[in-house]
Amino acid sequence: MKTRILSRRTFLRGAIGGTAVALALPTLEAMLGKHAAQAASGPPIFGVFFWGGGLPWSDKHGPQQAGNPDVWTPQATGPGYAPSELLTPLAPYAPSVITGTTPFTEVPPDPPGQSDGHMRGFMVSLTGDRIRPEGFDHPSHTLTALRPTLDQYVAKHPAFYAGENPRFKSMVLGVSTARFHDYGHWNSVSYNGPDDQNLPILDPGQLYDLLFSVPTDTDALKRRALLLDAVMEDAKHLSATLGAEDKQRVEAHLDHLNQVKHRLEFTGEACVPPTKPAPNEELVAKADMVGGLLASALACNMTRVFSLMLSSPATTHVFSNLGIANDFHTTCHAGEWQNVKNGIAYQMQAFAAFLGRLSAMVDPMGASLLDRALIFGLSEYGEGFQHSVAEMPTLLVGGANGAIKRGVHVRDVGGNISKTHVTMLRGIGLETPTFGWNGGQTSEAYSEILV
Amino acid sequence: MQRRSKGRAASPSPLVAKLACFSALALSACLPACIGHIGDGGENAAEGVLTLAPPALPRLTATQYRNVVVDLLGTSPPKLGLEDDTKPFLFYNIGASTTTLSELGTQQYEESADAVTRAIFSDPARRAALVGCEPAAPGDACVEGFLKSFGRRVLRRPLSAEELGRWVSISTTLAQPDVWEGVRLAVAGLLQSPYFLYRVENGTPDDATPGRRKLSGFEIASKLSFLLWNTGPDKALLDAAEQGELDTPEGIVHSAERLLDSPRAREAMRTFFRQYLDLGRLDGITRDPLTYPQFTPGMTDAMRKEVELLVEDVVFETQGDARSIFSTRRTFVNADLAALYGVDAPGATATDFVPVELPAEGPRAGILTLGAFLTMNAHETRTSPTARGKYLRERVLCLEVPPPPPGVSTELNPPSGNTPQTVREQLEEHRKNPACAACHQFMDPPGYLFEHFDSAGTYRTTQSSPNGDLPIDSSGDLDGNPLADARELATKLETDPRVGQCMTLQLYRHALGRLETKGEKLALEDLSSRFASASFDFRTLLIELVQHDAFRYVGEEAP
Repeated sequence: MKTRILSRRTFLRGAIGGTAVALALPTLEAMLGKHAAQAASGPPIFGVFFWGGGLPWSDKHGPQQAGNPDVWTPQATGPGYAPSELLTPLAPYAPSVITGTTPFTEVPPDPPGQSDGHMRGFMVSLTGDRIRPEGFDHPSHTLTALRPTLDQYVAKHPAFYAGENPRFKSMVLGVSTARFHDYGHWNSVSYNGPDDQNLPILDPGQLYDLLFSVPTDTDALKRRALLLDAVMEDAKHLSATLGAEDKQRVEAHLDHLNQVKHRLEFTGEACVPPTKPAPNEELVAKADMVGGLLASALACNMTRVFSLMLSSPATTHVFSNLGIANDFHTTCHAGEWQNVKNGIAYQMQAFAAFLGRLSAMVDPMGASLLDRALIFGLSEYGEGFQHSVAEMPTLLVGGANGAIKRGVHVRDVGGNISKTHVTMLRGIGLETPTFGWNGGQTSEAYSEILV
Repeated sequence: MQRRSKGRAASPSPLVAKLACFSALALSACLPACIGHIGDGGENAAEGVLTLAPPALPRLTATQYRNVVVDLLGTSPPKLGLEDDTKPFLFYNIGASTTTLSELGTQQYEESADAVTRAIFSDPARRAALVGCEPAAPGDACVEGFLKSFGRRVLRRPLSAEELGRWVSISTTLAQPDVWEGVRLAVAGLLQSPYFLYRVENGTPDDATPGRRKLSGFEIASKLSFLLWNTGPDKALLDAAEQGELDTPEGIVHSAERLLDSPRAREAMRTFFRQYLDLGRLDGITRDPLTYPQFTPGMTDAMRKEVELLVEDVVFETQGDARSIFSTRRTFVNADLAALYGVDAPGATATDFVPVELPAEGPRAGILTLGAFLTMNAHETRTSPTARGKYLRERVLCLEVPPPPPGVSTELNPPSGNTPQTVREQLEEHRKNPACAACHQFMDPPGYLFEHFDSAGTYRTTQSSPNGDLPIDSSGDLDGNPLADARELATKLETDPRVGQCMTLQLYRHALGRLETKGEKLALEDLSSRFASASFDFRTLLIELVQHDAFRYVGEEAP
């Protein structure tokens, strides 16, 4: 069933003479008519969809991984490929899939361990760069990014929002609460820069409140916004007394205060809220629920960028519903291929449920959010048994307003994964002469996919 | 998001490895094959000189934030959504000083401050109790007096005249519809001030000690209170700072003794030990009830509580040798644990824990033979001598275990052919690969000592296999010294100097909210030896730490 976008201005939030004024609503038809023209040609949406655990391994990943069939790579290349076993749940959304790519970044020898897929594969596929060698500590698995992940790169790109000032520059969301570690990239796939992450919202109830439970006393909101000026004053004073690194932290805090103030003062569009969902931690049900809330937020232009961490890197999610006793990280290392295949297949079902929500949200002209969107589906490495970074799984889902061809399989064995980044960034209209750093730089895009 | 590129925390490994090698006894542990090389990221510390790292800027952990709000307002924040803390290198305080607050986290502080102040100020009795006077007009003497004294508690130092003027003026500007709303918002603003949310302990240059900055009395008050109480300083401690009492080691000790005598110190130390012993890893551990019927749903909570009670008994109740947590036969069990261990525990129920003396001839002594350690360092259905050996190396002895070399399979081969193998036999196969042997010979032999305990902590003499039961061999060794089992290891640890050094190091990291640097080696040696001189009384270690230069001073920020 399709859902109509019911975004409309329910009331004008703003104070006239100190009193909130609720404007009578024009007729719904009139509103939708006005909205339709906007949404059909609405600016693109960019999203990152991450799942932990890579793919089930095959001989394409290396000799140690041989002995099992490749259930990911479609047999045929080009448009209209027949989906592989694992891609079948996604087939209704016609993802374009690029197979065979790998990180090109150099791996510094010191400190050792930086070639590990957990570190390298993750960081290159999300930032186009390697991890930061300084401060990398393999025994504790502590590491950080050198630069922002793609969601934040896009959200902060001057050309992406241009003049717009949405309520949220980006939404950072997650589904599974299982963690390998509670810090660093094990805990979030969204970085603003070194040592600076956005932790995902994992509770749909919290997400609902954030999006739709906005207090209506605009006077009080205004005072809270004014109060933040005083708080920012303190932040500026403090920042002036700090060394470089802490200064950066407090200045980031200051920027955030500005954003929070913006939200308190926000008088833009309010949305007709969807129904508040009942808690459900089951992976597919929760991905569906989060997808539904996000679709509502996207439909009324609260944001145009998101990242969704279905499961965390090296996920310890327990797929007990599939009869897998151990956590998924252990299951990968134990070499239980069939269990790993089932766990990844289940994550693809969750991905499909999520995409279904975006696809079902259509505007009056019949265009869906997925038609506007470009969603980068990825994991941290090629496979989780030996952490190979060969054959990184990458999916481009959605049409990016027609800039991306859907349902194309490109096979690029040994190709630079950042070619995918260039393709995507150009697809959402960001001028991208090159992308990638420290050996990963490329100016090439996939012409088979980029219109 | 955790680590810094330079200055502080350049690399944890050199000192960790070095500490391990201070003692001649430990030399055999310093096998080149499995120790990170000693060298660092370019810190130019002179030998024999204590060179302190620049200050860290920890943000209050969620627990600290809540504790302080309760102290200040007498009520918990009604809205508890705050950015999650993280604990790289085991400690929340390290996460607090190395992470950057997110935009959502900033919004959550805003919402929390608004909600908690609304709850207080909407109740005339509660707001009167908090403010202590009835403001007649915005910015009057009542408002100013309140913001002055309340601001001092919130910011953990007196407000400057400029600051006070600013907050009074805010309370006036925002006094709509009435004066109370202005006061409420000023309080909400103070609770969002970075001077409240971050612990600013920058010190001032000290002529007597070039290259160092001396922390002010107020900064010491804050540091002391967050260490010993896990909350901000109370009025008495701020008064002591104002009187100059915290400018000298003696004055600091005097206040520290007062804090340590309070039950709040126990809770704070419980949180330290929970992190140092990595007990958070028990969360979410389950065992198949068919295979492990003794592993009741409340078992992991009971196991954690057992360790906490045991530690508290050694460290606070009896003020014994802190290292004896690894060897004592005294422990605390509820009914489930009593059944798991097969000991009589009169009075124990599902929820009541009672002290018991484990049998002298039994297999258990010290926390490395108790449920928490045995369970969290095992797989679902089989033991992991490697994980147990690694915990012993890293957590108890502070030795670094490096990662597996690239391209090496960490997977055990399935039992070969038709011959069933114990976990030990499988691991011994694994170690035939020289690339694996280098580190596994460092972790597995001490890990074998625990093989008499299955992955749920139950004592066993055999391991079942499809072809019948296989006998358990728990012999192993530590640093080449052969040992028969975990009991012998416990005895060995009673005199191993690395145990006390490691405890000192972990407390140091926790207290300072960062990793040690090479230049602080002297401080760690000094504290370790004072700890030893005090027969490893943990309270004495705390007292020695808070009066130490490494606590009272910080280094200059690199230009």
